[in-house]
Amino acid sequence: MFESISYHKQKTIIIVSFLLIPMILLGLFTYYPAVKLIYYSFTNWDGYSPEKPWVGLSNYKEVFANSDIFKVFQHNFAYLVMGILQNIVAIYFAIILSSKLRGKNGFRIILFLPYIMNGVAVAFMFGFVFDTTNGSLNMLLNSIGLSSLGNTSWLGTEGLVNYSLASTGFWRFMGYNMVIYIASLQAIPRDIYEAAKIDGANAMQTLWRITLPNMKAVIQLNLFLTVTGALEVFDLPFVLTKGGPAGASQTYVMRVIESAFAYNNYGLASAMSIILLLFVVIVLLLQQFVLSRGGDK
Amino acid sequence: MSRKLFSLGFVIILIFSLSLTGCGSSKGNNNAGTNSEKPAANTNGDTAGNATTEPAVDESTAISGEITFLTNRTDMIGKEYDEYAKRFNEKYPNIKVEFEGSQTDYNQQAKVRMASGELPDVMFIPQIPNSDLPKYFASLDDLGLTDQVTFKDFKSQDGQLYGITTGNSTSGIVYNKKAFADAGITDIPKTWDEFLAACEKLKANGVIPLASNFKDKWPLNTWAFDTPRLIAGDPNYPNEKLNQDAPFTMDTGYGKAFGLLKELNQKGYLEKDINSTNWEQSKKDIASGKFAMYYLGNWVINQIIGAGTTSDNVGFFPLPYDNSGTVTATLSPDNFYAVAKDSKHIDAAKVFLKWMIEESGYEDFAGFISPLKGKESKLTQLKEFQATGVTLVEGTVDDPKVTEISNKAQLDLPAVVQEFVLAKDPQTVLDKWNKSWAKAKKDLGY
Repeated sequence: MFESISYHKQKTIIIVSFLLIPMILLGLFTYYPAVKLIYYSFTNWDGYSPEKPWVGLSNYKEVFANSDIFKVFQHNFAYLVMGILQNIVAIYFAIILSSKLRGKNGFRIILFLPYIMNGVAVAFMFGFVFDTTNGSLNMLLNSIGLSSLGNTSWLGTEGLVNYSLASTGFWRFMGYNMVIYIASLQAIPRDIYEAAKIDGANAMQTLWRITLPNMKAVIQLNLFLTVTGALEVFDLPFVLTKGGPAGASQTYVMRVIESAFAYNNYGLASAMSIILLLFVVIVLLLQQFVLSRGGDK
Repeated sequence: MSRKLFSLGFVIILIFSLSLTGCGSSKGNNNAGTNSEKPAANTNGDTAGNATTEPAVDESTAISGEITFLTNRTDMIGKEYDEYAKRFNEKYPNIKVEFEGSQTDYNQQAKVRMASGELPDVMFIPQIPNSDLPKYFASLDDLGLTDQVTFKDFKSQDGQLYGITTGNSTSGIVYNKKAFADAGITDIPKTWDEFLAACEKLKANGVIPLASNFKDKWPLNTWAFDTPRLIAGDPNYPNEKLNQDAPFTMDTGYGKAFGLLKELNQKGYLEKDINSTNWEQSKKDIASGKFAMYYLGNWVINQIIGAGTTSDNVGFFPLPYDNSGTVTATLSPDNFYAVAKDSKHIDAAKVFLKWMIEESGYEDFAGFISPLKGKESKLTQLKEFQATGVTLVEGTVDDPKVTEISNKAQLDLPAVVQEFVLAKDPQTVLDKWNKSWAKAKKDLGY
């Protein structure tokens, strides 16, 4: 019965049938909720009642009228700084662990392990590390004689708390970035290095002129992940500080969740989510624009 | 050619059978909800409304069914709850009770299930306006408890009772008696000055006087909700906000109550770093006498005993919030039991709820004052507390308008307490929230 179908048609049937399930799943669990979210952002739904009164743009107006809401993005700055640092360190480790080094697989595993751990478990763990009176970090500082630092309230000092939290993110995601960089390093053809060696290039020149330019696309990807991650950070402060002290470590996503579930304002929370989405798109476009200037693409 | 065709046909059959099983399993889930013969643990709101419930007969064996109770006391699952189910089944052998533990946030989880119409048969009422109660819950007036329960107006709508408190709490200072004795405190403080003096003695003795658990925010509920009401001397104080554009001032209930905590912090009577506190550890530290006091509800007493001390080492007295010498304390309900309106086994659920209130002994286990009027508590600390001559003040139902304004203003009183205590100039904090309050009130037109 298939003789009548052309090879081209058979190919189409296969492609369609293979793609059907993933597309349905994607639509059901990603795009359908996203469309719903946009719809909710125009209502003032309280999160549980059957009626969802349409209010037009008033949620968006409310978000932009309340400048307080955007002030929390200042807190995300710490995550951005730490994220950039994280990428630099990840490249450093990737280069070292791609060279001939005894036990490099062991080091790779050790650096990658934190990424596998559950975010909330990591947060709890660091709760014990950062504790002021009984925490292991202050205990360590005291035992090596830095007792002036040993009483620092890592999570209780405005201005410091976000960096403390972001350093946890650094610890957790550095290995992940590193693995991506290692993969991209392995994709660089060895003969370029050989040619450079013959031309007498030293290690620094090889790094700047060959390694980094060849990794540009991957660095861009990692930076994008870092920036969006910094904008959307939520689990660490939610578990560790609940946004404290007095809101100093509150992030935008935490405010969204509070609006929805603590203050029963699903509509406003949806609008805030959409605005965050637009922010991410803007940041992405900016980054593309800046990084691809003078590029060869 | 035929081989190629065969493999192509095989692949297509494989794919379609996969996609069919995909549909099949999701259909199966739906069927579980629509199939009324199968006793589903979770009721489906769309369909279960049509399900008929068996008529109530007095004989306890006549009521049957499988019911689910969604609880926040995950620590009791597999322990006390199993024992409750056993005792309950001695009386009602045909009702099977399933205890489902809630994830971290009961309120949030319950609301999600309300939205999807999949409520458990017995549950606690989440934070919703009372006018929504009849939409989700069954009236409990036919249980014959209406005249005996405390706080019956709290979860009533149009004269019908929808929720019964699981137990009542009062709040006060829970303390380690040995720590007090070691510091040379012989009498419990009856005025604020005496209280400060006691704190000073404890501090001098190397004990942290009061464990605030400031970081976790919820332990400040007593400072945010109870003390202001007591200082103002008005049970309806929280609802008075409706008529005020600037409810937060230094010289009224809120400002004074927040100020007390700020004073304790400034004098160094709280944890060394209030932004780095650990709730679980603090229970052990109170039990061992490293910390001396909590200002929390009486429910915490049993938890301290559980953390490693004996009952006769734990005392309880009302917080002397001023120097008048006469003290009052609040009486507040805990969670409210309710039965889902669309439950398939509504009678079984109601019978279970009644049994939980009358016979389970949960209130003594949890350290509550009984939900039934005039039932004596078995807890010695509560007797001790009442012996101080304290007047217990019942609160009033939250005015839905006040809740609405609070939500609109995104006002979270314990968070305001945190800001107030940490701020260099607390007046600015109050000003900020007065402004938000006035704006939200105006926007809503109240």
